[in-house]
Parts: sequence; C-alpha cells; structure tokens
Amino acid sequence: MKDSDSKNAPISTDRRRVLLGLGAAGAAVAGASLTGNAFAATAPAQVTEAPKSEKTQDHNAFHGPHQSGIVTPRPTAGMMVSFDVLAQDREDLERMFRTLNERIAFLMTGGPVPQVDPKLPPLDSGILGPVVTPDNLTITVSVGDSLFDDRFGLEPVKPKRLQRMVGFPNDALEADCCHGDLSIQFCSNAQDSNIHALRDIVKNLPDLLLVRWKQEGTVPAQAPLKPGQPPESARNFLGFRDGSANPDSNNQKTMNELVWVQPGSDEPGNGEPAWAANGSYQAVRIIRNFVERWDRTPLQEQQAIFGRVKTTGAPMDGRTEADVPDYAKDPEGKVTKLDAHIRLANPRTAQTQRNLILRRPFNYSNGVNKNGQLDMGLLFICYQADLEKGFITVQTRLNGEPLEEYLKPVGGGYFFTLPGVVDSNDFIGRSLLAASAQTTKTA
Amino acid sequence: MKKSPLALLLTFGVLQTSLSAFAATAPLDLVTPVSDYKIYVTENVDTLAADTQKFTDAIKKGDLATAKKLFPTTRLSYESIEPIAELFSDLDASIDSREDDHEDGVKADDFTGFHRLEYALFSQNSTRDQGVFADKLLADVKELQSRIAGITFPPEKVVGGAAALMEEVAATKLSGEEDRYSHTDLYDFKGNVDGSKKIVDLFKPQLEQSDKAFVAKVEKNFATVDKILAKYKTKDGGYETYDKVKEQDRKALAGPVNTLAEDLSQMRGKLGLN
Repeated sequence: MKDSDSKNAPISTDRRRVLLGLGAAGAAVAGASLTGNAFAATAPAQVTEAPKSEKTQDHNAFHGPHQSGIVTPRPTAGMMVSFDVLAQDREDLERMFRTLNERIAFLMTGGPVPQVDPKLPPLDSGILGPVVTPDNLTITVSVGDSLFDDRFGLEPVKPKRLQRMVGFPNDALEADCCHGDLSIQFCSNAQDSNIHALRDIVKNLPDLLLVRWKQEGTVPAQAPLKPGQPPESARNFLGFRDGSANPDSNNQKTMNELVWVQPGSDEPGNGEPAWAANGSYQAVRIIRNFVERWDRTPLQEQQAIFGRVKTTGAPMDGRTEADVPDYAKDPEGKVTKLDAHIRLANPRTAQTQRNLILRRPFNYSNGVNKNGQLDMGLLFICYQADLEKGFITVQTRLNGEPLEEYLKPVGGGYFFTLPGVVDSNDFIGRSLLAASAQTTKTA
Repeated sequence: MKKSPLALLLTFGVLQTSLSAFAATAPLDLVTPVSDYKIYVTENVDTLAADTQKFTDAIKKGDLATAKKLFPTTRLSYESIEPIAELFSDLDASIDSREDDHEDGVKADDFTGFHRLEYALFSQNSTRDQGVFADKLLADVKELQSRIAGITFPPEKVVGGAAALMEEVAATKLSGEEDRYSHTDLYDFKGNVDGSKKIVDLFKPQLEQSDKAFVAKVEKNFATVDKILAKYKTKDGGYETYDKVKEQDRKALAGPVNTLAEDLSQMRGKLGLN
C-alpha cells in the first residue's frame, strides 16, 4: 500500500508556483485577472475589506492508511471537540460513522453547497459562502474508553491501552471538560473554517452526537525562515518554544515506531487488536497557565524551570533550538537542573527513547476567571503508538516538576485515533465495527 | 441504512433542487388547523389564568406549601403556548424571564413573574413580601389572556411554533436551567413538548401529503421523548425534580430533542409558508 503520509504538507497553489519558478510576481502575471493585490497598489483597502489568504484552496488528502491531522504540519487554528455518542444500537453507530465519513470527505475537499427551497433552512451554515473552501482542513476522529462500554458490544475489541484519563497529582479536572465517547480534532488555516466544519457535523448528526466540550487554540505564525536557518517551533503562552524535541514527523520509520499502532501487534502479550493497526493514541490536556504569575518570575528562573533559553529555544548547553542537550556531561544538574521540564520529559537516554511522543499543541485563550486573571494556556494534544509508554510515562516523570506552580491541567481525555479511510469503499470506524461484529458472532 | 437529508441529497447529486420544490399549501388548507390551534391556545390561557389565580392566592395567604405545589402545574399551560405568548415580548419578559436575563440578577427591579416567585418560594423558602409580585403576575396573565383573544394567529408563527418549542427544550430544559430553584423543569419540558406535538398533529394531514416519512420520523422522536419523560412521572400525576433525571436519560433525551428541533425547522417550508 502506498503511504500518502510522505506528502504530509498540504497541496498548496503557493508551493506549486514556487516549484514552477514563477514566484509571486509571475503568479500575478499568470493570473492575468485584476486581483485584490493589483488593486491594492492604487487604492488603500476599505476598513471592511476581508484579509486575504492564498491558502483557502489548500487541502489534505482524506484517503490514506492513516488519518490526517497527526503528522500533518500544524496550521494556525486548532479545535478539539469531545462528544457523547447518542446512538442507541449498532445500526445507529454505523450510521454515525458513515455520516461522519461523508461529511468529513466533503469538508476536507470543499465544493458547492446544494441549494434548497429558500422556504427551508439552508443545508449549510453558509459561513464560508456558497462554495466551501477546504482551507487546509483536517478532521481527525478518535474514540474514547466509554464507547467500549456495554452499549455497542465493542468491549472485546477495545485497544489495549485505552483507558479513562485519571487525574495526575497537579490536576484539577473539571467534569464538564473531560473525557467523551468520541473526539474530533479540527485543524485548518482559520478558526472560521474549523467552526464551519463543526457546525456542519452538529447539524447533520443531531440524533447521534452531542457536544460534550470544546476547546479552540491557535499556533502563532512565524516570520519566514532565512536561507539556511533551521526551522523554529512556535511559542506557547509562557513565551517558550514548544515542540523542540518532537520526533521527526517526516520519518516514516520513526512514526511507525512511535506514533502508529503497527499491523501484527495483535500478537499474544502485546495485545492490540488487529483492527487498530495504523491508528494511534491521542492524549488531550487542557492545561491552564498562570500567566500573570509567570510574567512576574525572573527570566533565569523561567529558563531554569524549562531547561531552555527563552529567546532562542536552545538547551542550556546549546546555541540553537535543535541542539541536543548533553545530560551525561551534567549529572548533577549544574547546567540543566535535574527537575527542569525538558530534562524530566525527555531524559535523552536509550531507555527513554521509547517514551517519545508526537506533540501537536495549540495555545488557547478563553476569557477571564472570577479573580480577574486571564484564563489561558495550552491545548496539549499528543499522539503515540502506546499510551502508557508515551504520554502517561512522560507525565508521570513530570509529576512534581517546578513548572507545576504555574500550571493547572483542568480537562482533556484519552482517545484512540481510528485507522485511516483507505478508499471510497472504506469509511471511518469500519474496521472497528467489522472486528466487533466478528467477536459478537463467535462469542 | 438511514441517511441524513443532506447526505441523501449529496448521494443523489442533487445540487440544483428546484427552488419551488414545495408548492404552497393552499391557504384554505391552513384555516382549519390554525383556528383549531387558536382554540387550543385559548383553552390553555384560560387554564393558566385560573391556575395563576389559585397560585397567587396561596402566596398572598402565606401558604408556602400550597404555593410550592402549584408552581409547576401553573406554569405548564404557559409553556405549552409559548409560541403565541412570546408574540407579546413585554409580557413574556415580565411573566417568564429568568434571573440570568437580568444584569442585576435577582435584585433587578424588573425581575418579576414566575421565576421571581420561584426564587422566593424555593430558594428563600418564604412568601414574605411576595404579594406585589403575585399581583403583578396575575395582572400580566390576565392581560395576556385578553390580548390573545384579540389577535389573528399568523399561520407562519403557529407552524414555526412547533420548532420554536423544541428549541426552547434544547436550549434551557435539557440543562435544567429553567427552574433552577424548584428543579421542576420536567413540567416545563412536558409543556413545551406537548405544545409542539399539538401543532404537528394539527397540520399532520397537510404534512403527510408532501412527506409521510417526515411525519413518521417526527412522531417516532416525540414518542421516544414521551417514553423517557414517563419514567419520571410521580403517583400524583406530576414529575420528579430534574436532579433525579439520570445522566443517561438526559443524553437519551438530547438526541430526539435536537433532531425534532432540526426536523421541525423544515415544517414551515414544507407547508409552503414564508
């Protein structure tokens, strides 16, 4: 099977232009028509004129062995939505997955919205106009531990490491933003594109899905890299670069080891069900940051807590963000404290390589708390082939870290990201339903 | 396999549905159901006025127990005719606004009506100083009664009311926000659902002419809601408090309620009303 993940980046007209050696000026000539840009040269834009994006037609392939939105480069806007599944039986559940599949296939591709009699409510919210633009959208569907209860007969085929999230010592979990039967991660170039997709799903599955909680977030855009400059990670709301030590998402072998459940892992002792191959475990955490307090903390202390230089993102013994800290040379923690965030999270030993996770977080900002402090933080999302070896082990190592004084995880959950939809005969969740139908029959 | 309406349209590639897919139901066809609905509303507002008299009498007599007992049943008839009652927004605000409709909450001068009294009866456990609110509620209800008698019911408001009532349920009843002090939300729930179903029943012949499957689906969802509500009926014909409703039943109600809101939003269009 050909793996489309090698083409992680979305298909962009911009990129093609560069490949064709045209550049922006060439594109304007090739475009021939009078564009907004050409217009802007003569008259300044009106207040209400919309900001321009050349990426609204960017799209990601829906079909593939893996779902998109995992090794796909993170766009600006992210949204995690957790649902209660209202389906009453397996027939309903299949209808839910098939309808979801249809909607996702359409939303990620885009196209005109069918028009109906204006006496009826329109089929689409219309917030992207009469022709839906994909805008680099990915929609990633995952299932929670509670979907495998006694409602649908899925219990015997539950992924081995899937479990209900249990609070860590520093957590203050709020019941109304935790867990769920199903999670959908929406990522695209703009918040409105994610909201459009969510509203489409809510409208089309009113009897099957009920929103349980939702958290939106953003990734701040960075200035384009200068030639020869190494890539840099975006900053979180504590002002530090986040994602520096992420495994290489373009390396198929690494992703197979760390992110994707492998075919054949249903061997005795390992125990992942065969249907789960090419899926992944998703850990979501809504981590509030106490930003006022953080901003009142001396820089050297902030850096010591993280174990990185705030400006560059370099480790304490390095020069650039990509440099690898040498903890062997620093056994007593004189350069990088032993309880520094990055040292606990990733001790860089041979044994801890298996605990690497693929982080894909977004910054969130929700409003103001009763005490007048800003309610903001990190919508942490990570993927791994083994939830226990991955997130749970890493977070357990972090328990008690000095950074906890500035953090309070309040929500989230663990989910299993379903295998990809391979072609138009397949649909999301098909392998799960098929596997459980078999066990029901043989039982 | 059942498919959503949109999914069906997409499957069949219907991108250009004729813009006049629904021939307007001959206005004559709507005369009977609309006038029948007016009878229904009139009966309910008469009941409301009589019940409100007893309810406010109890408050003025300082009979806390009776007032508490009458609170949910008195409201029931208001909730079932909300699409018409809400045509008079001034009265709707003074009769049925909730604490969170007012910036100053319970202390707001214009916070009056059922929920102001509910606050006194169930949160403060007292009828003291409530006479003024009781008088105001009774006067407002009587005013509503006379205004309803004097208006012609607009067909689109009547038909649209079926969906509007389910939107009410979806927005404030499922969450238990309506009767936050008394927790008697299930009465209101029942009032809204019955009011909505009444409208569907009245227009059923016209709806069935264009879409039998639609009517069948709507009736099935009403039946599901009724079945779940029936689980919480008490021996005296009333309902348990909303905090007794199990989490799984709240979820089981959400599906049919949201689907009814979605489906009934097409009712006006299906009957060719603007």
